[in-house]
Amino acid sequence: MSVLTLERVSKRFDNTLAVDELSFSVEPGTVFGFLGGNGAGKTTSLRMVLDIIRPTSGKIEVLGRAPGRENSADIGFLPEERGLYRQMTALDTIAYFGRLKGMAATDAKREGAALLDRFGLAANAKMTVDKLSKGMAQKVQLATALVNRPRLLILDEPFSGLDPVNQGLLEDEIRRMSQAGSTVVFSTHVMQHAERLCDRLLLLAKGRKKFEGSLDEARLELPARLALVARRDPAKLPGVESAEDKGEAEPGWTRWDVRLEPGVEPGHVLEQCVADQFPLRRFEQVQASLHDVFVHIVGTPETEQ
Amino acid sequence: MKNILIVAAREFRQIASMRSFWLTLLIMPLSIAAGAIAPQLINKDEADRVMIVDRTGGSEAQALEQRFRLDEGRDQLSALSRYVQRHHLERADPRALWSQHDRWYGDADVARFVAEGGTAAAKAKIARVKPEDTPEFTAPKPDYEVVPVPASLASVPDTQLDAALKTVLKPTDKDAKAVDYILLVPASFGQSPLVRLWANRQPSQQFVGTVQDVLTRDLRTRFLAAQGVSPTAAESASTIAPALAISTPPPGGGAREAMLVRSILPLAAAYLLMISLMLSGSWMLQGTVEERSNKLLETVLACVSPQELMYGKLLGTAGVGLFMIAVWVGCGIFAGYATHGAIADLIRPALDPLTSPGTILALIYFFVVGYVTIAILFLAIGAMSDSMRDAQGYLMPVLLLILLPITILMQAVLEGNNGGVLMEVLTWVPIWTPFAVLARLGLGIPTWEVVGTGILLAVFTAAEIVLLGRLFRASLLAQGQRPNVREMLSRMRATPA
Repeated sequence: MSVLTLERVSKRFDNTLAVDELSFSVEPGTVFGFLGGNGAGKTTSLRMVLDIIRPTSGKIEVLGRAPGRENSADIGFLPEERGLYRQMTALDTIAYFGRLKGMAATDAKREGAALLDRFGLAANAKMTVDKLSKGMAQKVQLATALVNRPRLLILDEPFSGLDPVNQGLLEDEIRRMSQAGSTVVFSTHVMQHAERLCDRLLLLAKGRKKFEGSLDEARLELPARLALVARRDPAKLPGVESAEDKGEAEPGWTRWDVRLEPGVEPGHVLEQCVADQFPLRRFEQVQASLHDVFVHIVGTPETEQ
Repeated sequence: MKNILIVAAREFRQIASMRSFWLTLLIMPLSIAAGAIAPQLINKDEADRVMIVDRTGGSEAQALEQRFRLDEGRDQLSALSRYVQRHHLERADPRALWSQHDRWYGDADVARFVAEGGTAAAKAKIARVKPEDTPEFTAPKPDYEVVPVPASLASVPDTQLDAALKTVLKPTDKDAKAVDYILLVPASFGQSPLVRLWANRQPSQQFVGTVQDVLTRDLRTRFLAAQGVSPTAAESASTIAPALAISTPPPGGGAREAMLVRSILPLAAAYLLMISLMLSGSWMLQGTVEERSNKLLETVLACVSPQELMYGKLLGTAGVGLFMIAVWVGCGIFAGYATHGAIADLIRPALDPLTSPGTILALIYFFVVGYVTIAILFLAIGAMSDSMRDAQGYLMPVLLLILLPITILMQAVLEGNNGGVLMEVLTWVPIWTPFAVLARLGLGIPTWEVVGTGILLAVFTAAEIVLLGRLFRASLLAQGQRPNVREMLSRMRATPA
């Protein structure tokens, strides 16, 4: 059974269609990346999953139930815009959110203390938030999402604003949750994180789904590319769409960035080279980055940070 | 419900962790105590020192001294009489002057009082019948102390007195006590009406009046004697005075006084409602603005519904307000005990309204519902504001709208007014209803009016919870400019999306 299912979900704000007939499902234990540029509808979709706002049409199922606060015991959520009560201590803050998610006060405190210990903040547990550094506060924010050991962890642009240390910490936590059997859904427009973490991806543009599948499936959306070192221009080879001169590799030999025609296998080109006695010193298939896939599918390069 | 309580507890703790909360909590009883103590500090605690340089042979100084003693005795007798009347102690001696409260005590009465042993004898009689919890009688301090004329001044001619008296009025020696008034009655007094007075400050009207009265009598007696009237008749003519029978309400008893005393509790309830609402409401508003400006709301709303958040905040704030009131009332009770029942005795008539269950119910109902009615306004303002500066823009007009008429209302009730168009308007307009009904409970407000305004207030508050609840929900995650009235109305119309 899917942990999260959206069926033809739309959300309209006045004259703006923020989410347009969005359908997808997330299987248990996966790390699911929700990719899209600013204004693509990622936050709106996640807010609907959490019942913070309601869809205009369509159906959402979370952990087999309709969205609602009764699911909060099984959900952890870290919003894009994060804040904390400045006058509350780090431990009390985590325990407060634990209690709001249905935990007993003692369990919430114990789990909060364990998380602070794991994040290296045990000594700061009784410190009020306004006395913590920004990096420390970010860890406390993450702890509020994890305190109830959620079955479904929803993170909205979790890496934005994090320092490199905390980015690493968050990646570790996402992997830890996934290994423990939890499902992680996170939205981002930083492709490197998604590339490193996601089992499955969904690309969103202007509220519409543009792609859903694994990273390998995403790469297949782009024509294959080759890195060659050859004596002659490979543009004339059958199956090659274009070849770009990347400079001399050694006397008499040139580096080439070769883009194949859609559907052409790199092995087929190699076969042709051998058959035509096309002199080669290097033949390497280049994997497309998620960034390339994103730009190819969504069409705007402005999303990279 | 559990989440409402968790949110309420957090709100309470958040406010209770603020220094301003504890300061305000203490300032109220401290300022009341200061208000009670200040008059005693301002009042002089020492008698004015009076020196009489009598060059006529001493009879004028003697007459003046006797008059000061008589006035002192009269003050003591009057105070004793009020004390006996307040505590119903007439049985100590029903024939004593201080058991007769219906007259102005004349000189003969005072002389009799002194002859019968004065305050000390009266206190001894009273002590035999006085219940243990009745406070002791404290006699008022005398107004004047006559000091002797130093021998060095006695021989100084009148014309050189100005210079000689300077050091007496303002001694250079720090340990020497200054004399407040020096009166010179020249040897020619009688033929000439001139007397001289030196004072180290603006002389009090009371002192000048007393001196004038005594010396005028003497001048009249001399005048009548000069006209051939016998000395005895002349003396009698100048001291003749009406016997004044006086009716005053007993302390805490008379009509208007009683009405005012009965209004103390309801008025205090209205006042406490106002103060605690303004304070806890603005703290709650601060908290809500903090949640918005700190981008906390989305995390909170993932766990609790906007309704739960709103009710939790209302409950937490009401808890803060009621806690403040409980502390203040506790301070009052403590003060009552600490002053050995003197305050309790004073406010006993004020507790009269509490003998009627209907009044108690009305007090509680209008207090609690009034709290919700106004607190929810603060909550809606907080939800619409990204900063305290934003919030001030909404807050000022709302505060003025609520507070201005209430101050007028309280003044009117203190003056004993319990009717008129303004009072009725304030009673029937729901945002003022709780204050108006609470304030009027002591003066007597018709039952139908209490029930009618109670129902109207309940309907208004229910509508407010629905409409402002929608505004609260719609505003929580809204971004951009402060909403204008049109936008607010549209948010109120919007059904939960």
